[in-house]
Amino acid sequence: MYRTVAQLDFLTGLLAAWFPQYFTRIQLPEPSVQGRPVYALRMRAGGGGERRGVLLVGGTHARELMNPDAIVELSVDLLVSHANGTDIVYGGRTWPANDVRIILETLDLWLLPCSNPDGRDYVMTVDDLWRKNRRDNPSTPCDGVDLNRNLDVLWGVTEGQTSCSPCSDVYCGPSALSEPETRNVQHLLDTRRVDCFADVHSYSELILYPWGHAPTQTVDATKRFTGLPNGTCAGLGQPGYQEYMLPADLQRFQTVGQRIVDAIAAVRGRAYTNQASIGLYPTTGTHGDYAYSRHIANPRLRKTFGYTFETGPWVGNARDSFHPADPTLIKRDAKSGMLALMQQCICAIELIGSRFLGREAEVSALRRVRDELLGTTEAGREWIALFERVQGRLAATVLGDERLSQEGAELIETVGRLLQEESAPVPADVVERVQSLLGELVERSSSEEDRADLAAVGTQLSRVTGSSVADALSTLRHQGPAGGGTAYQRPG
Amino acid sequence: MRHLPSRGGLRVEEAAARQPALPGPASPDMRFEATVHAGRRAGDLDAVAELDLDRVPDPEGGIRLLLTAEGAAALVSRGYEVRLLDVLPVRPLDAELFAGEGATLAWLERAVQGIERHQAS
Repeated sequence: MYRTVAQLDFLTGLLAAWFPQYFTRIQLPEPSVQGRPVYALRMRAGGGGERRGVLLVGGTHARELMNPDAIVELSVDLLVSHANGTDIVYGGRTWPANDVRIILETLDLWLLPCSNPDGRDYVMTVDDLWRKNRRDNPSTPCDGVDLNRNLDVLWGVTEGQTSCSPCSDVYCGPSALSEPETRNVQHLLDTRRVDCFADVHSYSELILYPWGHAPTQTVDATKRFTGLPNGTCAGLGQPGYQEYMLPADLQRFQTVGQRIVDAIAAVRGRAYTNQASIGLYPTTGTHGDYAYSRHIANPRLRKTFGYTFETGPWVGNARDSFHPADPTLIKRDAKSGMLALMQQCICAIELIGSRFLGREAEVSALRRVRDELLGTTEAGREWIALFERVQGRLAATVLGDERLSQEGAELIETVGRLLQEESAPVPADVVERVQSLLGELVERSSSEEDRADLAAVGTQLSRVTGSSVADALSTLRHQGPAGGGTAYQRPG
Repeated sequence: MRHLPSRGGLRVEEAAARQPALPGPASPDMRFEATVHAGRRAGDLDAVAELDLDRVPDPEGGIRLLLTAEGAAALVSRGYEVRLLDVLPVRPLDAELFAGEGATLAWLERAVQGIERHQAS
């Protein structure tokens, strides 16, 4: 069953009215082309200022009906879990109540369930395969702009499935961000802290990451979209062009994407594929690429990891694939994937550091090591990937225990200070404390994968005891965690 | 509304006029779901992308389109082989797929049962 725009708005209004401690409903600055209000929800538990943020957008393509419902239903699942202290169970995947608590108490979730209300209404009342918004295109008999071609990244470059023809279903619009519906998304990205983003579409069971216009490469940093013309209504015009991405970013897209895929597979075995957007077909001006591209086009802007979900399988024909008679199971898969994205968006070090230390210096030092040292070598990136794999679940464990949290914070402070004295030796007592913390985490972990990862960290730590900080970092940059250890022995 | 300058290319209006887009009626009353294949006179399937059609994912990785009769005819006239798989009359969403009146509130009431609500509501 699919809810009308009015029903979705009714639900978000009720959630904000009934549970203001969790939900704030925001009317976005721009009504739709036909004048409908467009609403977003902020969801969080607890107080405090700005937090890391996740933005989920649904209903961009009007006929992909199930995702607006899934996003609202996910918010209710989160509310119930947090309020009652109960796990969220999606088939074979259980999201422990403590994990949900950490998500809601450490992130701001920005939910824009129905970004294209005119299109949804048109699908429900006139044409159930309508894709675009309901813009009247002047001087043509054709209506609508494809909102997922209208963003300001290579806008109007008609590579692959993008068109400058108003009658096309992939019409990019008369200018970048010409549509109020896309400007609303831009507004959220401009005014809120958004670290992770997903534009949730259907169908074909894909988790897509940038880029859409060209294959991704990590070698030639001169190949940037910022150097390409836009608004040309022509293809890229450079045969063989490949777009640059920082190796660490590509790895993060792939690592987090795999976590999303795994979380979906655990529900009932659906095998989503994590791949670059161009693997579906070439596109420009999409939400996912735009979210990620912004910090490249304007280095003053925050980096946002932008994904596109394509929920649901092919079921024999396009109509039923876009809106199957019963989307319940597909929505359950999608919600598990969205939860995985949220969990992966938590930065454990930043969280523990800011919550317990109340200052940035040590966390910044660790971030610099990640970005400027580890991120530049293959082995270093393997360490980053390892940390990103385990941190979401470990953060829940650490933050659920006051003593572990305190110890974690003290170690972040100590290690952060050490990193500023590269000639100093890595002290044995610090290594011992880290090993001890790792040992506790291993004992509390129910994940074999987490235990193996923690063992690899422990093994490496033993190797660098007594060497200088600079040498220890060099070792990490050139020797990855593979084969680092399988059986963790807690010291003492 | 911000109109981006066109850097190194045609003005958008000029370029749009030169687009090789296939004709499409403003309000079709019928679409077809179809796959497109190389024909005797047209072997380059990549060129189908230049025709601005509504491509949807294909389970075999091929080119699957939702298109009008005019669109299908134009593809054939350009030498492609078009296999029509399904006739899709333009119609509203099946009434049976709508969440019922009252179902939305009932669903939320059931889901949040027992959780304290804000008094003012």
